[in-house]
Amino acid sequence: MPESIPASLVIDALKETFREARAVLAAEGYRRQPEHLGWVLSVPDTHQRTVLAALDKERAIRVLTCATEDEANAVAAGLYIGGEPCIAMIQHAGLYASVNTLRGVALDGRVPILYLIGLLGRERDRDPRESRHSMVRSCEPLLDTFGVPHARLEGPDDVRLVPEYYRLAQQRRGPVALLVGLETI
Amino acid sequence: MTPESVLRVVAEARGHALCVPTMTTAPAWREIAPDDLSVVCVGFMGGASSLGLGLALACPDRRVIVLDGDGSLLMQLGSLATIAGARPRNLLHLVFKNGVYHTSGSQEIPGGLSMDFAAMARAAGYPRACAIGEIGELRRRLAELLADEGPALVELHTTLADKTPMTSPGGVPFHQQVERLRERLRREP
Repeated sequence: MPESIPASLVIDALKETFREARAVLAAEGYRRQPEHLGWVLSVPDTHQRTVLAALDKERAIRVLTCATEDEANAVAAGLYIGGEPCIAMIQHAGLYASVNTLRGVALDGRVPILYLIGLLGRERDRDPRESRHSMVRSCEPLLDTFGVPHARLEGPDDVRLVPEYYRLAQQRRGPVALLVGLETI
Repeated sequence: MTPESVLRVVAEARGHALCVPTMTTAPAWREIAPDDLSVVCVGFMGGASSLGLGLALACPDRRVIVLDGDGSLLMQLGSLATIAGARPRNLLHLVFKNGVYHTSGSQEIPGGLSMDFAAMARAAGYPRACAIGEIGELRRRLAELLADEGPALVELHTTLADKTPMTSPGGVPFHQQVERLRERLRREP
Protein backbone atom coordinates (compact mmCIF):
# COMPACT_ATOMS: atom_id res chain seq x y z
CA MET A 1 0.00 0.00 0.00
CA PRO A 2 1.32 3.46 -0.81
CA GLU A 3 2.10 5.88 2.01
CA SER A 4 2.21 9.66 2.16
CA ILE A 5 5.66 11.20 2.31
CA PRO A 6 6.43 13.96 4.82
CA ALA A 7 7.41 17.24 3.18
CA SER A 8 10.56 17.43 5.30
CA LEU A 9 11.90 14.25 3.69
CA VAL A 10 11.33 15.63 0.21
CA ILE A 11 13.05 18.89 1.14
CA ASP A 12 16.03 17.02 2.58
CA ALA A 13 16.25 14.93 -0.58
CA LEU A 14 16.18 18.08 -2.71
CA LYS A 15 18.95 19.64 -0.66
CA GLU A 16 21.07 16.52 -0.95
CA THR A 17 20.42 16.47 -4.69
CA PHE A 18 21.39 20.10 -5.18
CA ARG A 19 24.49 19.82 -2.98
CA GLU A 20 25.68 16.93 -5.09
CA ALA A 21 24.83 18.84 -8.27
CA ARG A 22 26.83 21.87 -7.09
CA ALA A 23 29.82 19.65 -6.36
CA VAL A 24 29.64 18.19 -9.86
CA LEU A 25 29.38 21.67 -11.39
CA ALA A 26 32.39 22.85 -9.36
CA ALA A 27 34.37 19.86 -10.59
CA GLU A 28 33.41 20.81 -14.15
CA GLY A 29 34.87 24.25 -13.61
CA TYR A 30 31.88 26.38 -12.65
CA ARG A 31 33.21 29.06 -10.35
CA ARG A 32 30.03 30.78 -9.24
CA GLN A 33 28.95 29.94 -5.69
CA PRO A 34 25.57 31.53 -5.03
CA GLU A 35 23.94 31.46 -1.62
CA HIS A 36 21.21 29.10 -2.80
CA LEU A 37 21.69 25.43 -3.66
CA GLY A 38 19.24 25.16 -6.54
CA TRP A 39 15.85 25.99 -8.00
CA VAL A 40 12.43 24.48 -7.81
CA LEU A 41 10.26 25.50 -10.75
CA SER A 42 6.71 25.09 -9.64
CA VAL A 43 3.29 25.26 -11.13
CA PRO A 44 1.38 24.74 -7.91
CA ASP A 45 0.22 21.19 -7.33
CA THR A 46 -2.45 20.30 -4.79
CA HIS A 47 -0.83 16.93 -4.27
CA GLN A 48 2.53 18.39 -3.20
CA ARG A 49 1.24 21.49 -1.44
CA THR A 50 2.88 20.63 1.90
CA VAL A 51 6.25 20.53 0.14
CA LEU A 52 5.55 23.86 -1.55
CA ALA A 53 4.52 25.35 1.80
CA ALA A 54 7.72 24.09 3.43
CA LEU A 55 9.78 25.44 0.54
CA ASP A 56 8.42 28.90 1.27
CA LYS A 57 10.49 28.84 4.46
CA GLU A 58 13.62 27.43 2.85
CA ARG A 59 16.35 29.91 2.05
CA ALA A 60 18.68 27.36 0.48
CA ILE A 61 16.26 26.51 -2.31
CA ARG A 62 14.82 29.16 -4.56
CA VAL A 63 11.30 28.63 -5.81
CA LEU A 64 10.04 30.17 -9.02
CA THR A 65 6.31 29.87 -9.52
CA CYS A 66 5.53 29.73 -13.21
CA ALA A 67 2.18 30.45 -14.83
CA THR A 68 2.37 27.30 -16.96
CA GLU A 69 4.41 24.12 -17.23
CA ASP A 70 5.51 25.27 -20.70
CA GLU A 71 7.23 28.17 -19.03
CA ALA A 72 8.81 25.92 -16.43
CA ASN A 73 10.39 23.81 -19.16
CA ALA A 74 11.85 26.81 -20.97
CA VAL A 75 13.08 28.39 -17.73
CA ALA A 76 14.73 25.07 -16.87
CA ALA A 77 16.62 25.24 -20.16
CA GLY A 78 17.91 28.71 -19.38
CA LEU A 79 18.99 27.68 -15.89
CA TYR A 80 20.72 24.59 -17.28
CA ILE A 81 22.61 26.64 -19.85
CA GLY A 82 23.74 28.95 -17.09
CA GLY A 83 24.87 26.09 -14.85
CA GLU A 84 22.12 26.28 -12.23
CA PRO A 85 20.59 23.06 -10.80
CA CYS A 86 16.82 22.85 -10.90
CA ILE A 87 13.86 20.49 -10.76
CA ALA A 88 10.23 20.97 -11.76
CA MET A 89 7.26 20.27 -9.50
CA ILE A 90 4.04 19.89 -11.43
CA GLN A 91 0.80 17.93 -11.50
CA HIS A 92 -0.16 15.22 -13.99
CA ALA A 93 -2.52 17.68 -15.71
CA GLY A 94 0.47 19.96 -16.23
CA LEU A 95 2.40 17.18 -17.87
CA TYR A 96 -0.42 16.72 -20.37
CA ALA A 97 -0.61 20.50 -20.90
CA SER A 98 3.09 20.82 -21.69
CA VAL A 99 3.87 17.86 -23.90
CA ASN A 100 5.18 20.06 -26.72
CA THR A 101 7.76 21.78 -24.56
CA LEU A 102 8.69 18.49 -22.91
CA ARG A 103 9.45 17.31 -26.44
CA GLY A 104 11.03 20.51 -27.74
CA VAL A 105 13.08 21.47 -24.69
CA ALA A 106 13.87 18.36 -22.69
CA LEU A 107 13.90 15.71 -25.43
CA ASP A 108 15.03 17.50 -28.61
CA GLY A 109 17.01 20.11 -26.70
CA ARG A 110 18.55 17.39 -24.50
CA VAL A 111 18.00 19.47 -21.39
CA PRO A 112 18.07 17.39 -18.19
CA ILE A 113 14.88 18.01 -16.22
CA LEU A 114 13.70 16.02 -13.21
CA TYR A 115 9.94 16.32 -12.81
CA LEU A 116 8.17 15.60 -9.54
CA ILE A 117 4.66 14.92 -10.77
CA GLY A 118 1.73 14.75 -8.36
CA LEU A 119 -0.74 11.99 -9.18
CA LEU A 120 -3.79 13.77 -7.81
CA GLY A 121 -6.63 11.26 -7.57
CA ARG A 122 -4.41 8.19 -7.29
CA GLU A 123 -6.39 5.56 -5.35
CA ARG A 124 -4.74 3.78 -2.43
CA ASP A 125 -6.10 0.41 -3.46
CA ARG A 126 -5.39 0.48 -7.19
CA ASP A 127 -2.33 0.50 -9.35
CA PRO A 128 -2.14 3.91 -11.10
CA ARG A 129 -2.32 2.21 -14.50
CA GLU A 130 -5.72 0.84 -13.51
CA SER A 131 -7.04 4.03 -11.96
CA ARG A 132 -10.61 5.11 -12.53
CA HIS A 133 -9.22 8.55 -13.39
CA SER A 134 -7.73 9.08 -16.84
CA MET A 135 -5.36 11.75 -15.48
CA VAL A 136 -3.80 9.12 -13.19
CA ARG A 137 -4.11 6.19 -15.59
CA SER A 138 -2.55 7.91 -18.60
CA CYS A 139 0.51 9.38 -16.92
CA GLU A 140 2.92 6.45 -17.08
CA PRO A 141 1.84 5.39 -20.60
CA LEU A 142 2.44 8.97 -21.80
CA LEU A 143 5.92 9.02 -20.28
CA ASP A 144 6.57 5.60 -21.85
CA THR A 145 5.47 6.92 -25.25
CA PHE A 146 8.04 9.68 -25.06
CA GLY A 147 10.73 7.41 -23.63
CA VAL A 148 10.93 9.33 -20.37
CA PRO A 149 12.31 7.16 -17.53
CA HIS A 150 10.04 7.25 -14.52
CA ALA A 151 9.50 5.75 -11.08
CA ARG A 152 6.98 6.05 -8.29
CA LEU A 153 7.40 7.78 -4.97
CA GLU A 154 5.12 5.53 -2.98
CA GLY A 155 6.49 5.99 0.52
CA PRO A 156 9.16 7.65 2.67
CA ASP A 157 11.89 5.21 1.61
CA ASP A 158 11.45 6.23 -2.01
CA VAL A 159 12.86 9.74 -1.54
CA ARG A 160 16.26 8.17 -2.22
CA LEU A 161 15.11 8.19 -5.85
CA VAL A 162 15.25 11.99 -5.99
CA PRO A 163 19.06 12.32 -6.20
CA GLU A 164 19.24 9.10 -8.19
CA TYR A 165 16.87 10.33 -10.87
CA TYR A 166 18.47 13.77 -10.93
CA ARG A 167 21.77 12.03 -11.77
CA LEU A 168 19.97 9.94 -14.37
CA ALA A 169 18.63 13.07 -16.08
CA GLN A 170 22.13 14.55 -16.23
CA GLN A 171 23.61 11.32 -17.57
CA ARG A 172 20.89 10.93 -20.22
CA ARG A 173 20.76 14.65 -21.02
CA GLY A 174 16.98 14.58 -20.99
CA PRO A 175 13.81 14.39 -18.92
CA VAL A 176 13.05 11.92 -16.12
CA ALA A 177 10.02 11.80 -13.84
CA LEU A 178 9.11 10.75 -10.32
CA LEU A 179 5.42 10.25 -9.71
CA VAL A 180 4.21 11.25 -6.27
CA GLY A 181 1.59 8.63 -5.42
CA LEU A 182 -0.23 10.03 -2.42
CA GLU A 183 -0.51 13.59 -1.17
CA THR A 184 2.57 14.65 0.72
CA ILE A 185 2.04 15.50 4.41
CA MET B 1 11.30 50.08 -39.25
CA THR B 2 12.53 46.74 -40.52
CA PRO B 3 13.35 43.95 -38.10
CA GLU B 4 16.75 43.66 -39.73
CA SER B 5 17.55 47.30 -38.95
CA VAL B 6 16.45 46.76 -35.35
CA LEU B 7 18.65 43.68 -35.03
CA ARG B 8 21.65 45.57 -36.39
CA VAL B 9 21.16 48.29 -33.78
CA VAL B 10 20.83 45.63 -31.06
CA ALA B 11 23.96 43.86 -32.29
CA GLU B 12 25.95 47.08 -32.12
CA ALA B 13 24.80 47.90 -28.59
CA ARG B 14 24.60 44.50 -26.90
CA GLY B 15 28.19 44.11 -25.75
CA HIS B 16 28.42 40.66 -24.14
CA ALA B 17 24.69 40.28 -23.66
CA LEU B 18 23.14 36.87 -24.19
CA CYS B 19 20.45 36.94 -26.88
CA VAL B 20 17.40 34.73 -27.43
CA PRO B 21 15.93 35.18 -30.91
CA THR B 22 12.89 33.24 -32.10
CA MET B 23 10.84 32.72 -35.25
CA THR B 24 11.39 35.55 -37.78
CA THR B 25 14.20 37.21 -35.83
CA ALA B 26 16.22 33.98 -35.99
CA PRO B 27 17.41 33.85 -39.64
CA ALA B 28 18.48 37.52 -39.67
CA TRP B 29 20.16 37.28 -36.25
CA ARG B 30 22.16 34.30 -37.51
CA GLU B 31 23.69 36.53 -40.17
CA ILE B 32 23.96 39.75 -38.17
CA ALA B 33 25.39 38.22 -34.98
CA PRO B 34 26.97 34.86 -35.83
CA ASP B 35 28.44 34.24 -32.38
CA ASP B 36 28.06 31.72 -29.60
CA LEU B 37 26.37 34.04 -27.10
CA SER B 38 22.91 33.40 -28.49
CA VAL B 39 20.46 30.53 -28.28
CA VAL B 40 17.50 30.40 -30.63
CA CYS B 41 14.14 29.38 -29.24
CA VAL B 42 13.19 26.89 -31.93
CA GLY B 43 10.79 23.96 -31.72
CA PHE B 44 8.72 25.34 -28.84
CA MET B 45 7.14 28.54 -30.11
CA GLY B 46 6.36 30.97 -27.33
CA GLY B 47 9.22 29.89 -25.10
CA ALA B 48 11.72 32.68 -25.81
CA SER B 49 10.68 34.87 -22.89
CA SER B 50 10.89 32.00 -20.39
CA LEU B 51 14.17 30.75 -21.83
CA GLY B 52 15.51 34.28 -21.44
CA LEU B 53 14.22 34.40 -17.87
CA GLY B 54 16.09 31.22 -16.99
CA LEU B 55 19.28 32.62 -18.50
CA ALA B 56 18.86 35.92 -16.68
CA LEU B 57 18.39 34.19 -13.33
CA ALA B 58 21.36 31.90 -13.91
CA CYS B 59 23.66 34.64 -15.17
CA PRO B 60 22.96 37.73 -13.05
CA ASP B 61 26.17 39.41 -14.19
CA ARG B 62 25.19 39.37 -17.84
CA ARG B 63 22.49 41.24 -19.68
CA VAL B 64 19.96 39.01 -21.46
CA ILE B 65 18.00 40.25 -24.48
CA VAL B 66 14.94 38.35 -25.70
CA LEU B 67 14.11 38.98 -29.36
CA ASP B 68 10.48 37.90 -29.17
CA GLY B 69 7.59 38.02 -31.63
CA ASP B 70 4.05 39.22 -31.00
CA GLY B 71 2.48 35.90 -31.98
CA SER B 72 5.11 34.02 -30.01
CA LEU B 73 4.54 36.02 -26.85
CA LEU B 74 0.78 35.50 -27.13
CA MET B 75 1.42 31.75 -26.93
CA GLN B 76 2.86 32.13 -23.43
CA LEU B 77 1.48 35.46 -22.36
CA GLY B 78 1.52 34.35 -18.73
CA SER B 79 5.31 34.59 -18.91
CA LEU B 80 4.89 38.36 -18.49
CA ALA B 81 3.59 37.73 -14.99
CA THR B 82 6.25 35.12 -14.26
CA ILE B 83 9.01 37.48 -15.39
CA ALA B 84 7.56 40.39 -13.47
CA GLY B 85 7.33 38.22 -10.35
CA ALA B 86 10.92 37.02 -10.68
CA ARG B 87 12.16 40.58 -11.32
CA PRO B 88 15.35 39.76 -13.22
CA ARG B 89 17.16 43.10 -13.23
CA ASN B 90 19.23 42.04 -16.27
CA LEU B 91 16.44 41.13 -18.71
CA LEU B 92 15.45 43.25 -21.70
CA HIS B 93 12.42 41.88 -23.53
CA LEU B 94 12.07 43.16 -27.09
CA VAL B 95 8.80 42.28 -28.82
CA PHE B 96 8.79 42.63 -32.60
CA LYS B 97 5.21 43.55 -33.41
CA ASN B 98 4.01 43.12 -36.97
CA GLY B 99 0.48 41.93 -36.21
CA VAL B 100 0.74 38.61 -38.04
CA TYR B 101 2.09 35.08 -37.81
CA HIS B 102 4.58 35.78 -40.57
CA THR B 103 6.22 32.35 -40.59
CA SER B 104 2.99 30.43 -41.15
CA GLY B 105 1.65 32.65 -43.90
CA SER B 106 0.94 36.04 -42.32
CA GLN B 107 -2.37 35.21 -40.69
CA GLU B 108 -3.38 38.03 -38.36
CA ILE B 109 -2.65 37.42 -34.68
CA PRO B 110 -5.64 37.62 -32.32
CA GLY B 111 -6.29 41.31 -31.88
CA GLY B 112 -3.93 42.22 -34.71
CA LEU B 113 -2.00 45.44 -34.38
CA SER B 114 -4.28 46.70 -31.61
CA MET B 115 -2.52 44.47 -29.08
CA ASP B 116 -0.64 46.70 -26.65
CA PHE B 117 2.18 44.60 -25.27
CA ALA B 118 3.78 47.48 -23.41
CA ALA B 119 0.54 48.07 -21.51
CA MET B 120 0.26 44.35 -20.80
CA ALA B 121 3.81 44.27 -19.45
CA ARG B 122 3.19 47.26 -17.21
CA ALA B 123 -0.02 45.69 -15.95
CA ALA B 124 1.81 42.45 -15.23
CA GLY B 125 4.38 44.32 -13.18
CA TYR B 126 7.33 45.08 -15.44
CA PRO B 127 8.86 48.23 -13.96
CA ARG B 128 9.59 49.56 -17.45
CA ALA B 129 7.73 49.18 -20.73
CA CYS B 130 7.41 51.36 -23.80
CA ALA B 131 6.77 51.26 -27.53
CA ILE B 132 9.19 52.40 -30.21
CA GLY B 133 8.33 52.77 -33.88
CA GLU B 134 11.29 54.62 -35.33
CA ILE B 135 14.82 53.31 -35.71
CA GLY B 136 16.45 56.58 -34.71
CA GLU B 137 14.59 56.57 -31.42
CA LEU B 138 15.64 52.98 -30.77
CA ARG B 139 19.26 53.89 -31.49
CA ARG B 140 19.04 56.81 -29.08
CA ARG B 141 17.37 54.89 -26.26
CA LEU B 142 18.84 51.39 -26.44
CA ALA B 143 21.97 52.07 -24.38
CA GLU B 144 19.82 53.45 -21.61
CA LEU B 145 17.42 50.53 -21.83
CA LEU B 146 20.33 48.13 -21.54
CA ALA B 147 21.83 49.99 -18.60
CA ASP B 148 18.63 50.47 -16.62
CA GLU B 149 17.39 47.99 -14.07
CA GLY B 150 14.92 45.56 -15.61
CA PRO B 151 12.93 43.71 -16.45
CA ALA B 152 11.97 46.03 -19.27
CA LEU B 153 9.80 45.38 -22.31
CA VAL B 154 9.92 47.32 -25.55
CA GLU B 155 7.24 46.85 -28.17
CA LEU B 156 8.89 47.46 -31.53
CA HIS B 157 6.66 48.37 -34.46
CA THR B 158 8.25 46.63 -37.41
CA THR B 159 7.59 45.58 -40.96
CA LEU B 160 7.82 41.95 -41.98
CA ALA B 161 11.25 40.31 -41.99
CA ASP B 162 12.96 39.46 -45.26
CA LYS B 163 13.32 35.84 -44.17
CA THR B 164 11.41 33.41 -42.00
CA PRO B 165 12.43 30.04 -40.57
CA MET B 166 10.41 28.51 -43.42
CA THR B 167 12.10 30.41 -46.25
CA SER B 168 15.50 30.26 -44.60
CA PRO B 169 15.75 27.07 -42.56
CA GLY B 170 18.94 25.84 -41.02
CA GLY B 171 21.22 26.99 -38.30
CA VAL B 172 22.73 24.98 -35.49
CA PRO B 173 20.30 22.47 -33.93
CA PHE B 174 18.86 23.63 -30.61
CA HIS B 175 20.59 20.98 -28.50
CA GLN B 176 23.96 21.96 -29.95
CA GLN B 177 23.28 25.62 -29.25
CA VAL B 178 22.41 24.69 -25.67
CA GLU B 179 25.67 22.86 -25.10
CA ARG B 180 27.73 25.48 -26.95
CA LEU B 181 26.40 28.36 -24.88
CA ARG B 182 26.60 26.33 -21.68
CA GLU B 183 30.26 25.63 -22.34
CA ARG B 184 30.94 29.29 -23.14
CA LEU B 185 29.26 30.39 -19.91
CA ARG B 186 31.17 27.80 -17.91
CA ARG B 187 34.40 29.45 -19.06
CA GLU B 188 33.08 33.03 -18.92
CA PRO B 189 30.17 33.26 -16.47
